[in-house]
Amino acid sequence: MSTQLPESERPDADGESTGTSTAQQGRLERKRAGTAERQAREESETAGEVETVPLEVYRYDPDVEGKRRPRFDTFHVPLEQGMTVLDALIYARDEFDPSLTFRHSCRQAICGSDALFINGEQRLGCQAQIADLDHPVKVEPLPHQAVEKDLVVDMEHFYEQMRSVEPYFQGGASEADAAGEEQLQSRENREKIKMSTRCIWCGACQSSCNIAAGDNKYLGPAAINKAYRFAMDEREGEDVKDHRMNVLEQEHGVWRCQTQFSCTDVCPKDIPLTEHIQELKREAVKDNLRFW
Amino acid sequence: MAEHYSSFDRRGWRWLLQRLTAAFLIVVLAFHFMLLHFVNHAAEITFAGSQARMSQVGYFATMLLFLVTATFHGVNGVYNALLNQGLDGTAKRVVLALLVVASAALLLQGTRLALALTGMDVSL
Amino acid sequence: MSQSYDRGLVEDFGRWREFSAGMWAWVLHKFTGWVLIGYLFTHVAVLSTAVYGSSIYTETIRELESLLVVRFLEVGLLAVAVFHILNGVRLLFVDLGMGLDAQDKSFYASLVLTGGIVVASIPTFLGGQV
Ligand code: SF4
Ligand code: FES
Repeated sequence: MSTQLPESERPDADGESTGTSTAQQGRLERKRAGTAERQAREESETAGEVETVPLEVYRYDPDVEGKRRPRFDTFHVPLEQGMTVLDALIYARDEFDPSLTFRHSCRQAICGSDALFINGEQRLGCQAQIADLDHPVKVEPLPHQAVEKDLVVDMEHFYEQMRSVEPYFQGGASEADAAGEEQLQSRENREKIKMSTRCIWCGACQSSCNIAAGDNKYLGPAAINKAYRFAMDEREGEDVKDHRMNVLEQEHGVWRCQTQFSCTDVCPKDIPLTEHIQELKREAVKDNLRFW
Repeated sequence: MAEHYSSFDRRGWRWLLQRLTAAFLIVVLAFHFMLLHFVNHAAEITFAGSQARMSQVGYFATMLLFLVTATFHGVNGVYNALLNQGLDGTAKRVVLALLVVASAALLLQGTRLALALTGMDVSL
Repeated sequence: MSQSYDRGLVEDFGRWREFSAGMWAWVLHKFTGWVLIGYLFTHVAVLSTAVYGSSIYTETIRELESLLVVRFLEVGLLAVAVFHILNGVRLLFVDLGMGLDAQDKSFYASLVLTGGIVVASIPTFLGGQV
């Protein structure tokens, strides 16, 4: 209904159809109710009663006197249909406080820059619908990372873990590679690694992981998933895979995963992280059994 | 960085053993509870009764294996818990040594106890 | 930025209300694990009275079992052991890659089952005492 024109502007919305069927009557009634609702809303808005959402935002700035000790600021952002937490933050920054700092770019869950701790869970600001959240909406920087300013955290350690698994294709399995030609992948293999390729490096999973927080050397779910994406790719040679498994089998590799499922719960791209880590554990054990 | 993780120690065996002992312990621990709380009430346990059970070779062997697997599973679990908290370096080596000593002591005393329960004189 | 703010331990434990099923399962599994390994040491120590003669062994057990508090502790131990066993079964399945989608449900199931088994066992455990 939302996309339809208001009844008053529709030709023969309430036409003189005297002998209408019951179904049509029902439809007409619903239309009338919809109009009434819309009018009521418009009236309340013109009366200055705009519906707002209270946004409690974590503030910290080592360079500003009053913000050296973190505090929460509340912004009352006018609600709009389809509004995300990121939209609300942008509104708060543009209209209320230009010093409010947070990362964002794509606004469509692709760039991975706006993972935040929203109402106690790691989510992407651009993916979290205000309508789905309890009010007030509490927005904090990602836990387990040092806060630089407001909602901006230091991601360097996360990136370092990602890089440590050599997150790039190394080939070497086929003659096509040797000949410098296109290396084709079977449909089944593509299906197998499909989900693992979706990672956008947002760091939500790492932030949710209690072990990654305790053991700083733990590779963490995202890096292990990245390694899975390549280790399971049939176009990479045996020696490359061995090398990858070596990294994963370290004490601070896959074994640290305690199957808490926190990462799988929060991943905005729905990657079955725990499943992938478990598969790699079994793979590692199988590898080792072969050597015994 | 990759170099942080390049030492060539494969740790999978501890993970696997933890699972294998778990599977064994599930059965034996349940059996142990049933036998000593439901079949024989804990309050009615006597040396003679324990001796009768421990004198059966199968039971004795099961109990001894129970001791060994439980010790490994428990102590390894403690070690894992500490690793998860980021235990590292010298502290890690010290803790590992302590845990190994504690396990050895437990195994020794447990075996002594098991033998005593068969009626053997093991007093030092 | 030369400075950054480390929010410390509050991070983990200040947020226990926000833990999800898998996290609770882990916390409880670790806790019950610590209790069980602690008990294993105690158990061997107590039974070690057998080394010093058959009557001391029998009497020690009799005496301990006559204390109401010991009976209650045993019920607690049962609860701990049963949960560790049931959640352990759940974890073995997770390790085999089975039923990962139902991991939260299987955790609740092990909780409920633990409760049921413990309640059903109370009469036997407190028998002859109350
Ligand atoms: S695995 Fe998911 S949660 Fe983790 S960094 Fe990638 S997209 Fe983000
Ligand atoms: S702004 Fe790009 S992922 Fe949210």
